[in-house]
Amino acid sequence: MSLRILAGDPPPCGGVLLAREWPSRLDLKQDALDVVAAVLFAHALVGEDDRQWLVLCLDEAIVNAMLHGNEGDPGMPVAIEVTADGDRWCVTITDRGAGFSVDQVPDAEDPESLLLEHGRGIRIMSEWLDELTYYRGGAVVRMARRRSAPARSSDAV
Amino acid sequence: MPCDFLLVEAYDKIVLAKVMKERLLDPVSIASLSEGLSELVDRHPRINLVIDAGDIGYLSSAMLGKLVALFKAIKAAKGRMAIGGVKPSLMPLFKVTQLDKIITFYPDAGQAVTEFRRNPL
Repeated sequence: MSLRILAGDPPPCGGVLLAREWPSRLDLKQDALDVVAAVLFAHALVGEDDRQWLVLCLDEAIVNAMLHGNEGDPGMPVAIEVTADGDRWCVTITDRGAGFSVDQVPDAEDPESLLLEHGRGIRIMSEWLDELTYYRGGAVVRMARRRSAPARSSDAV
Repeated sequence: MPCDFLLVEAYDKIVLAKVMKERLLDPVSIASLSEGLSELVDRHPRINLVIDAGDIGYLSSAMLGKLVALFKAIKAAKGRMAIGGVKPSLMPLFKVTQLDKIITFYPDAGQAVTEFRRNPL
């Protein structure tokens, strides 16, 4: 896995299905997760079989934005946008933090990292997503994947 | 405060701890389970701990970090730890994070208990 942290903004990813902000409060994390997941399921972009991985990936990304990006400051919102372009969906999460560097993420190939108690979230997300890229130096994360539920004629986005 | 979703049975030197919760994503649940398991390690010297994970459907990297901390504490106390009954859909999580390289997994908790009995420390 190679972690990509770019300087610019993420490229467009189709039409907007959801654009909302939540305060950086972990007690609101579940609401954010449920709202985003509901949009992806409602548009048949993610299949029921993938619910577990979707929840795990969203949880990791939202917690990272709230706790690490915004340092748990409830006055700093986390913006979440769900977009889709044909058979590809994107969830883009933006925090107000300064981003991070590759050096701050443990190297999965380093045996020393096996016993670390942190740094596994990115590995978990990379396992299921087709794309996991950070923009604005790490303050924006773009998660993308191909549609995994059978498309319905009414789901054109 | 004891963890209200951890069912503990101790026989001989083997402690079986069943996690009766599907979601281990929120900080309160993670802290509660972590404290509950750590108390077992403090209470049982050289513990043979088997965690029955059969009810778990979701767990975050924060919870995985707590399991690593628990593993290190048990190792330092010259005990051992195994996890049984992980749902097949969840096993890739342990593989991609390479926890399967440090923690022993069994298809079910009963097999882990049997193995610990067969090979006492």
